[in-house]
Amino acid sequence: MTPPPSVQEADLHALVDGELSAERRRDVEDHLSRHPEDAALVEGWRRQNAALRAAFEPVARETPPLSLRNAAVRNAAPGAAPIETGAIHWGRPSGPSRSVRRLDEARESRRKRAFLSTAAALLVGAALAAATVLAFTRPPTPSGAATPVISAQSYVDRADISYRTYAPDARPVDFDADHLAELAAAQWRRVGFACAPDLSGVGLRLLGGRVAPGLKGPAGFLLYETQDSARVGLYFERAEPEKAARVAPRVDQSLTAVEWRGAGMAFVLIGPLGADAMQESAERAAGEILAPPPGEAKRR
Amino acid sequence: MSQKGDLFQKIEAATPALRRYARALCCGAGSAAADELVQAAIEQAAAKVRAREPSDGAAARHCAYRALTALAREKCAGLAATASPRQPAVVHALADLPYEERASLLLVALEGFSYEAAARIADTSREAFVARLMRARAALSLLDLRPSAPSDGARRAGGHLRVVK
Repeated sequence: MTPPPSVQEADLHALVDGELSAERRRDVEDHLSRHPEDAALVEGWRRQNAALRAAFEPVARETPPLSLRNAAVRNAAPGAAPIETGAIHWGRPSGPSRSVRRLDEARESRRKRAFLSTAAALLVGAALAAATVLAFTRPPTPSGAATPVISAQSYVDRADISYRTYAPDARPVDFDADHLAELAAAQWRRVGFACAPDLSGVGLRLLGGRVAPGLKGPAGFLLYETQDSARVGLYFERAEPEKAARVAPRVDQSLTAVEWRGAGMAFVLIGPLGADAMQESAERAAGEILAPPPGEAKRR
Repeated sequence: MSQKGDLFQKIEAATPALRRYARALCCGAGSAAADELVQAAIEQAAAKVRAREPSDGAAARHCAYRALTALAREKCAGLAATASPRQPAVVHALADLPYEERASLLLVALEGFSYEAAARIADTSREAFVARLMRARAALSLLDLRPSAPSDGARRAGGHLRVVK
């Protein structure tokens, strides 16, 4: 009887990865029982596998972000239809015949005159409306401080407006900390996302939240308070994933904003704390929001 | 047509696993970059489905992984410096691996592909793939378990084994 081929390092890997036939596996396991140093190698690789899985398994349990839902089918829709049916080709509607065109021209000139007078009336109305809008959006000048002209073009700007609007208020939130379930329901309904990360680890107590005007739609806005009664806001709105800078510009002399994207949303943490404290709080919030649901092991 | 729908669904169903694989390839450098890669990979795989290349659900899934592996190669190659210090040690060790070895290890250890399937995903031969896997595991043992014993680097336990390159 020929002895079985000697066990080589590749066989040890194959054992760990389930690539051996039953018979070969017995040979290798037999070898391991006689060579503890190889058994230690195998054990080490199994521990590596476990460490890798522990580090990344939570990602697989997350709900994929909105940008990835139906990503495959979404791309199929535009291109697929004409090839699939093959029967009907919807071309552009052809132009009218000549005689019809004459009639159209006559109608056109009449329409044009009517249109011009309507347009004039509309323009005047629009100018009035624009003037009103401008008058209302210029923020009231706080005593002593310069008035920043806030042209809301970024999520940080919107977060800034929300912060300035709500944070100084004695009753800054619609749903306080005793009504987080209702807050979550409102946010899911209006914003498409809800979160209320626990930031007590960095000294921030959740006061509650509300729905606030965002850049392109409703945004969520949570307010936290430090021991010194400084308030920090967490703003979030649905957004395209994008490499946004994590360390943020100071919005003005007194506020720092940290922006990040994740789970199909843009988040902005904004408040009067120092840059380091804000950064740490933002990382904590980001970790909480993207972490697996409570009850499962958290690994950070 | 319904077969295409099935294949699209199979790719969709692989999204959480693809995200995990992408995040690990980028060594936890952030979900935004990883999710972008996943989206691009899904789009490429969907294009292959429309071109009727994959024959079944498993092949469609492999297309997605193949696309992701190729796309991530450019993006994640130089990432060792950016793994945040709050990541577990194994992630740092992962970041120090050359890209091909990292991908090989993850395909087998994290995503559970067979050597054959993983070699096709990584667009290489089975022998070359297994060699990369072996190097990856060896490097990880050195980095993780014995950081303070540099002399061990030249020697591996089991000297009587023939190392197949």
